[in-house]
Parts: sequence; structure tokens; C-alpha cells
Amino acid sequence: MSFTYILQTLLDGLLMGGIYGLVAIGLTLIFGVMKVINFAHGALMMLGMYATYWAFALLHIDPYVSIVITIPILFLVGVCFQKFLINPIIDAPEHNQLLLTLGVSLFLENIVVFLWSPDYRVVKTPYEFVYFYIGDVSISLLRLLAFCLAMLVAAVVYLVLTKTDLGKAIRASSEEPSGALLVGINVRRIYWTTFGIGAACAGVSGTAVAPFFPVYPTVGGIFVITAFMVVVLGGMGSVIGAFIGGLIVGMADSVGGLFFPGAMKNLLSFVIFILILLFRPTGLFGGSK
Amino acid sequence: MANTKKKRGNRGISRRDFIKGTAAVGVAAAVGSIGFPNVLRGAAPPEIQIGNILPLSGPLAYLGNQLKNGAVMAVNEINKAGGIRSLGGAKLKLLDADSEGKADLSISGVERLDRAGAVAIMGCLQSAVTIVATQVAEKYRVPFVVSVAVADKITERGFKYTFRLQPRAAQMAPQTVKFISDIARQAGEKVKTIAYIHDNTAFGGSLSGLVVETAPKYGMEVVARVPYSPRSADVTTEVRKIKAAGADIVMASGYFSDGVRVFRAMKGLRVRPKAFVGCGNGAYSDQNFVKELGDMTEYVMDGNYQANPNSPLAQKMFDHYQALYGQKIPPSAVFAYEPVYVIADALERAKSTDREVLRNALARTNLKKHVLPQGPIVFDATGQNKNAQIALTQVLGGKIRVVWPEQYAEAKLVFPMPS
Repeated sequence: MSFTYILQTLLDGLLMGGIYGLVAIGLTLIFGVMKVINFAHGALMMLGMYATYWAFALLHIDPYVSIVITIPILFLVGVCFQKFLINPIIDAPEHNQLLLTLGVSLFLENIVVFLWSPDYRVVKTPYEFVYFYIGDVSISLLRLLAFCLAMLVAAVVYLVLTKTDLGKAIRASSEEPSGALLVGINVRRIYWTTFGIGAACAGVSGTAVAPFFPVYPTVGGIFVITAFMVVVLGGMGSVIGAFIGGLIVGMADSVGGLFFPGAMKNLLSFVIFILILLFRPTGLFGGSK
Repeated sequence: MANTKKKRGNRGISRRDFIKGTAAVGVAAAVGSIGFPNVLRGAAPPEIQIGNILPLSGPLAYLGNQLKNGAVMAVNEINKAGGIRSLGGAKLKLLDADSEGKADLSISGVERLDRAGAVAIMGCLQSAVTIVATQVAEKYRVPFVVSVAVADKITERGFKYTFRLQPRAAQMAPQTVKFISDIARQAGEKVKTIAYIHDNTAFGGSLSGLVVETAPKYGMEVVARVPYSPRSADVTTEVRKIKAAGADIVMASGYFSDGVRVFRAMKGLRVRPKAFVGCGNGAYSDQNFVKELGDMTEYVMDGNYQANPNSPLAQKMFDHYQALYGQKIPPSAVFAYEPVYVIADALERAKSTDREVLRNALARTNLKKHVLPQGPIVFDATGQNKNAQIALTQVLGGKIRVVWPEQYAEAKLVFPMPS
């Protein structure tokens, strides 16, 4: 096994890890602020993929440009989801919220089956097979674009959280909801904004993978399981943790694939996961609250 | 969920039908399942019910509904042609049961169909589900004609009520290897090495295992055997292993979505064998694979269960399906279509809707007029279609064509594939 081969594997994993990171950011944001575990996150990602697909198939919009459509749509879906479904049960026990989001996920998947059939659809771009070579290491343009998109959105979310008033309000509502309410923050509004942002993150991840991943109603499940692990690994509620965690899991899966066959390739990432939780039970960037 | 509701509406078993069916078998149900067939004996019901267990919702809904279409079409054709003549022109009626792709739901499915009075059951698309469903059917003594499910085990358990049309793994994999060696010899090409990428379920695992066993008989060797998980988001590492193997032939088994991803990754990483040959590949034999991926699928081959394009009956089936659903009938639907005719043929000979009599008639099946690329349909002692044979297909000019064996070919194959 040559050095370039390992380098190549790490790079493949890194690029994929960016996607995991972006999916996980949406999840961790929603959890951090509302303490709701959103099982419908995969379904939201799937909606993002369909938005991209239809923008591409009907309006001939380049899949990566379609984020201008995906983001507002998914933001809106997220807002409605929060306002009409999550809000009424925001104080309910956790397992009830869990069931609700799971139900929404089933509903969304099946409504898509109903509307657009369970057919597999493929977004085909003219630059699908463009590869860059650095020595013997090849980089797929699609994966690189997906990674850059994920980086970009992650950076924007991070900046919004740390530099803006909205971000401060979100963090305040997350850390101390009643305190935030006392100092005049409209916590309800923060809740639906956050859910909207989280859903938009899922939508963008959908857009990012659509050009190299078939689009079908249950596709979200493939990514969201990994995303849950990433969220815990990075520290529940930590945006940086989610992104770094995504990169770690991506690379671990990829390297694991070198040594273990089939589903066993996740072994390495699970071992890392357990080790991190052993030594840092709150996750990489989790606070000690 | 909306989908499930819709399905229920289409299911064709209204509450009234159900009550009717239940009433008819009420006595039997009270005594237990053993006495049950006797109640229906002799009576010529206006409708003969055939159960059909398929994943109509869930991740495999796409394929499940294709199979359903095939079966529905066959039932309508038979009814239109006058139903079962020996039973006074009795009409067939399909009862659907949704497995959602889960084995446990197929158990309740068989039980429900049994109570509803189905004379026979078909299904189930997935080997794991079929293994369970046939076992329950055996218990209730309902003849079960497997439409699509490849695992050898299904017909290896000494069951009396299980019959299967589809070539099983032990027929499919060695036949594919033989055909590869045949076409290589014909083209005067040396083919020594095979790299095999397959899903890590029982499906890909058993097929690739058989290929590894059979290849040496034809002077070939499997130099790389790479399993992947259909549920994993990235298959790049696996495909790089295939590329590193640099084999003459790249073989692949899997379902549709993962098949598409693996194939795209192979094209992207410029894997260039003399031929891509699927074995029971869920993508390579599906016209949607060609439609969605376009030119890059040209010359891709697949050793799979197929219809015989040169049979006049199959031509009729092609035309009918095209008219109804606007596409070429996918092979999976063919294997949901033909079982209905096999059951109808058995009913015709049985002159009875008694499951025991029907089972014996099925066991004596010798159907010469059918749509498959094989000799007469005859079941061996295990219930397996003895003469079942696969065909090699190739994507030529954007169409999936049968190219081998020659007697069933509808187009001339291209091997090795031009670079």
C-alpha cells in the first residue's frame, strides 16, 4: 500500500466528511437551541435533493446554483415545521418529541413517494467526470465543489452565530432560555429561525450531494445515521464540533474501507467514536454543562 | 403514509370482500387451517384469489410496484381471455399485501392472504423476506410461487408448497461465468481475471462466492472480491480497490441505487475493463439506469433473469406493458407476470381451487408456451424451475438488449467494449 494510495483515501474521506459535517451542523444547531432531536433531518435533506433535482430537470438550473432555491424553500419548511409541529410540544417529554419528528420523517418520505413515485433520479452535470490530478492523487470536481459548498455554509453559520446579534440571541436562548426571555429576546422567534437555519443546512447538504448521489425518497437515512454520530462525537450543540467531527468520521470511514470489507468499514470510525467519548464524555467540543 | 393509504385503496380488497372471504372460510378458520381447503372444494367461486406479497412502500417500493404491475397485467390478460375455462370461466383476482421490505410483515401478510382465501401466493422480491414467507405458507399449506428471489436456500429446505421460476443463485452465477467465457472465446479475446464488486447482503455475497468457485473451471480467476454496504454513503474506497486490481472483466452485483453509485464511481475513476458484466444486477438490467445515466452506460452487460425477446408471447407482453405503463417491461416485472400464467395453467389442469389439488398440479407443470429464455417450465423435486436460464444483456444504442445465448439474442454483442 503506497503512500499516495493512503493520501488519496484520506482526501476522499475528507471531501465526504465535509458533507457529513454540514448535515450534522443543522442537527446540532436544532438540538442545541431547542433540545429537540430531529429525526426528520434526513427527510429534510432529501427535500433539498429533490429541490435541486427539479430545479435542474425543469428549469435547467445548475445544481450548485440551485442553492438559491433550496435555501429559502428549506428555511420555510423548517420554520413551518417548528411553528406548527414542534412548538406545541416543545415542553413535552423528549420521547414524545422524538416520535413527532420520526412521524414527520415518515410523512415526508411517503408524500414524496406519492407525489413523485419512488423512482431513482439522477442529476447529470456536464462536468461530472472532471478530475484534477496532483501527482497520482485524483480529486473529483463534484466532490470538491460539494466540500467547498459545505465549508462555505458552515463558515457562514459560524459567523452568524458568533458575530451577529441574531447569533448572540440564538446562543443566549440555547444556554438560558428564561434569561434570554428576561432580557427581551423573542425566544419563540429565535426557535423558528434556528429551525429554519438547521433545515436550510440539511437542504444545502442535499444540494451538495445531488450531482453524484441518486435522488430517491428514503435517501436521507443513509446520511443522517452518520450525522447523529458526528453530532455526539463533536459535542451536542457545538457547530465547530459537528464540522470537525464530520471530517474525522469521513476520513475514518474511508481509511476503514481500505482494511475492512463492506459494512465493517465503519468499524474504525466507531472505535474512534468510543475512544473520544471515553476520554471526553461530552464530545470533542462539548461544554461541561 | 399517504402512500400506504393510497395503496390500501388500490388493494382491491374492500371490507365487504374481506367479510365475504372470511365468512366462506369461517368454519375452517374455527377448526384450524388444516380443514380449510375442504370448504372451498367443488364450489366454483366467481373469483379465484391469488395473493401477491411485495414491498409496495418503503425503500424498495420502486421495484415492488414494478412487480405488481407485471402481475396485474397478467391477471387482466387472463381474465379478458375468458378466465379459467375448466372452472367455468372463473376470473382471477389479485390480493396485494405490502411487506414494506420487512420479513416480519410478510408473516402477517401470508396469514391475512390465507384467511382471505387465496389459492396461491406469489412474492416477494427479496430473498430474506421470501425465505420467511415461504415458511409460513408451508405451514398453512398454501402453494407459493416465488416470483423474484435468488437465494438458493429458498428451494433447499424440502418444502412441498414452494415453487420458483427465477434462476436461483446456483444457476445464475455459473451461467454468467460460462457466458463470459463463451463470448470471450467467440471474440478471440483472452479473459483471465475478474474483479467483483458486490453488495454485502446475502444477495451479492452468495452470487460472488459462486463466481469465485466456478471461474477456475473456465480458466479464469477472481483476483479481487470487494463487498460494499448499500447503506454506506461513499463507495470510492471500494471502487479504488477494483481499479487497483486491473482485471479483464469487472463484475458487479447490487440493487439499483447502490448499483448506480458504484457504476458512476467506476466511470469517474476510469476503471476500464474489457467489459462491465453485472450478475443479477438491479441497475444494469433496468432501463432507468440507461435513461438516467445516458451514454456512459453503453456496452454494459448483465447476466440476469430476462424475458425471451424472440418468443411471440413475450412480444405481446412487451407491447401490452408499453401501452399500459409507457416503458419497456423490466425483467423483474416479467418474473411477476409469468407466475400468474403458471398458476393459471395449474388451475386449468387442477379443475379445482383446492390448494392441495392445485399444489399437485403445480408440481406437474410442463409449460411450453411462456416468455422465458429456456425450455419448458418444469419444477424439480425441490420446486425449482429446472430449466431456468439467464440471458446476457448489453446496453446498445441506449437500449438494453439480450445478446447471449445466441438463440435468444435480439442484437449482436460488442466485446470487448471499445475504449
